[in-house]
Amino acid sequence: MDAADVDDRLLPAAELRGLAVGYGERLVIDGLDLTVARGEMVVLLGPSGSSKTTILAAVAGFVPVRGGEIRIAGRTVATPSRHDPPERRDVAVVFQGAALWPHLSAADTVAYPIRRRGTGPRDADREARRILGRLGIEDLAGRRPAELSGGEQQRVGLGRALARGAALHLLDEPTAHLDGPLRDRLLDEIAATRRESGAAGLYATHDTGEALAIADRVALVRAGRIVQAGSPTEVYEAPIDTWAARLTGPASEIEAVLVGFGSGSAGFGGELAELDVGGVRIRSRIDGAALGPGPARLLIRPDWAALGGSLPGRVGAVRFRGSHTDVDLDTPAGAVTIRRPGPPSVGVGDTPGWSLARGRILPT
Amino acid sequence: MAASGRLGRMADLRLRPLAAVLLVVLIGIPIARLLGVALGDGPTVVAATLTDSRVAGAIGNSLWTAALVALLATSGGTALALATERAGLPGTAWIRAGILLPLLCPPFVTAFGWTRAYGPRGLTDQALGIELPGLYGPLGIVLVLAVAAAPLAWLIVAGALASRLEPDLERAARAAGAGPGTTLRTVTLPLLRPAILSALVVTFVFAVNAFGVPAILGTPAGFATITTRMYQDLARSADPAAFVEAGILAATLVALALLVVGPADAWLTGRAAARTAETAGGRGARVPGGGRGARGSRARSIAAAGIGLGFVLLTLLPLCAVLLTALTRAVGLAPVPGNWTLANFGEALDARFGDALATSLLLAAAAATIVLPLGALLAVLAGRSRTRGGNVLRTAATLGFALPGSALAVAVLLAYGGWLRDTLAIILVAYLAKFWALGQRQVAGSLERLPADALRAARASGAGGWTAVRTIGAPLLRPSLLAGWIVVFLFALHELTMSSLLYGPRSATLSVVVLNAQQLGDPTVSAALAVLLVGLIAVIALPLAFMARART
Repeated sequence: MDAADVDDRLLPAAELRGLAVGYGERLVIDGLDLTVARGEMVVLLGPSGSSKTTILAAVAGFVPVRGGEIRIAGRTVATPSRHDPPERRDVAVVFQGAALWPHLSAADTVAYPIRRRGTGPRDADREARRILGRLGIEDLAGRRPAELSGGEQQRVGLGRALARGAALHLLDEPTAHLDGPLRDRLLDEIAATRRESGAAGLYATHDTGEALAIADRVALVRAGRIVQAGSPTEVYEAPIDTWAARLTGPASEIEAVLVGFGSGSAGFGGELAELDVGGVRIRSRIDGAALGPGPARLLIRPDWAALGGSLPGRVGAVRFRGSHTDVDLDTPAGAVTIRRPGPPSVGVGDTPGWSLARGRILPT
Repeated sequence: MAASGRLGRMADLRLRPLAAVLLVVLIGIPIARLLGVALGDGPTVVAATLTDSRVAGAIGNSLWTAALVALLATSGGTALALATERAGLPGTAWIRAGILLPLLCPPFVTAFGWTRAYGPRGLTDQALGIELPGLYGPLGIVLVLAVAAAPLAWLIVAGALASRLEPDLERAARAAGAGPGTTLRTVTLPLLRPAILSALVVTFVFAVNAFGVPAILGTPAGFATITTRMYQDLARSADPAAFVEAGILAATLVALALLVVGPADAWLTGRAAARTAETAGGRGARVPGGGRGARGSRARSIAAAGIGLGFVLLTLLPLCAVLLTALTRAVGLAPVPGNWTLANFGEALDARFGDALATSLLLAAAAATIVLPLGALLAVLAGRSRTRGGNVLRTAATLGFALPGSALAVAVLLAYGGWLRDTLAIILVAYLAKFWALGQRQVAGSLERLPADALRAARASGAGGWTAVRTIGAPLLRPSLLAGWIVVFLFALHELTMSSLLYGPRSATLSVVVLNAQQLGDPTVSAALAVLLVGLIAVIALPLAFMARART
């Protein structure tokens, strides 16, 4: 289109620039920038009400934009003065509640987008059954939504999105209505089919584990803004603030005083530092925005600390989770949660002491 | 319905016989008497009556006009539902109000309004020298009935769009590559099919049952329908043959209603059961995606303007015509301020209004007050749908609502006319038979609003059965039950068909008085009476509007 001399396949799957979206008088998104590269899976991670679904709706073409621009595969599809309807955008959508049509069988549902491309009914049906086969549900081809379980419904919905053959898949909490193992299986299915098709994905969820597991890049969404974006490891290990830390996993915060830095390198973004934690001097690997001596708030992931050590602490709660155990310690510097493999080795009221392998200084 | 489970168990034991007896008295005996009279003289009399060219003509007229009305009203109501629930037109709230407004106006008042707006010496005749050809006759009947029935179709289809058809289903079609037209054809309309079918059934029964409109627009043109023919038969009720003919016509109406409602109801009930697995979703959410640019918004403005123009021509102008007629000194004078007077109102109030008003209010209040407990009885019994008896009772009550009013009135007259002829009581009996199912629907509707575990939570907190109902159930249900009471009250106030067949010298209702004044060729006074009737209805309906707003 407007970039005819550039190879379309090199352009990002989606570019959102200065996006503004509103309902009524109120803007719920104002000035949002986001790029999804070809074949990349970007997860929008945010609590409910953070407008991540609205971002997807704007990209899909379900709501108009008030400001900025949306490009899909290099083609401008939305500006305040332009609104391409969803059928003319190169997108496929997987809906939260599957949104299967009650009057169509699974095969007809998956054949629907193929038929809209002008393919004849017979060829479309063959193609639809092939897709259902790839998802391992060809035996459900004749069933209507009322005869399908939640997991099966969402799989048919995934098949419908695949059948669209779009450059960009929009997935709005597709596992929200599923539980446990079903959820993991669908996630694997989504990852696998997306790899095969080479499509990019924009995936909204409030589930941290899901986001970290499926994303190439995670964007933390708060009140219609992207607060931080990075690889799953980055957002987990280096959250930019308390809110981001708590969104991306279990997190404890304690008060400490940074005394000075030792010599030698300390791996990922961190340095070996000397700390005063509740009056006890320790050495530990520290990174963070403001690396200067003085009081600091320290983020500790449960796997960054261990039971046993020179720091004092008293067990406040023990939660056995099967493969591991979470232990809450009350310490003079604040509450700390420590995760250790296996069954509980301490009880409430014990004073096992603890040690800190690494930490991250949060901005105050 | 979980909430009514406990009530249902008590009701099963003590109340089911009561419900059965009431149904037999209000519906069973009258219908049996009707069939007895209609068929009592043997099949040859029935055959001879039905093949009489005037009777057969009236039946034919009723059928084809009602079929046309059903088609027009349902397609119009469906289009309006798509416009209000999906198109995101500017001023949608106003459009909704405009669609509902005709419901407040009894259809015979609308018909009268059309004669004053588009008939000879009407508004357009006086202002522009044009009148609507064929207003008196089938064309006018079909038009006015379609305008009156379209809001009913809109309510059904818009309700389905808002509650049953999750907007994501249409979004999914758009995201799968379907344009707006294809989405409408392949997803929206197929999923609306049950709603559209029930709209067709409801508007057809409404039109077959209609009496006031054909009486005003058909009778002067010599165009008879089943209901107007029955009215004339009963006016000559001294003639036994005419009475039998009325009975046969009433039985024909019953058969027609059963033929149309029965299969459709069975099919729809089956569908409803199959649909329980489906999810209901976002209410009234608009499905955007249609060109939102300048072009799209202009198209929306044009559509909204078109709906507005239709409202003005089809609803507002006839109502204004009635008001102007009521204010003008004599028919034929231009309705300009110089010719205005309040004398018509004085005459209307003076003459018949007071007694009729008292009669109407008393009847409507009595009907609403009795029908609601009756409806609760059935709602609670039928709520336990596993008991077959509950379903039978509910079906029987629905039958009363589906039965054309004129047939029901003749049936009640036959059954109880000996003791109650010309009394308020006989009209009340007919109202109760007719509106029982309406009450059941209102109560069942409010029970559905009761959170499923609300009563269980009360019981689990130590409240006894009645205490739970009194402390938790009643406060939660009160607003919707009050709304239900007002709805029944308004239906009764509207009622013309049964009242016009059953009233006596001292039991004429307001509607009857308005119709009689109109038929006596007294347009100015009947216009004044009509204005008072519609005003009364509007005042009573006002709280409903507030309640509806508070609920959304």
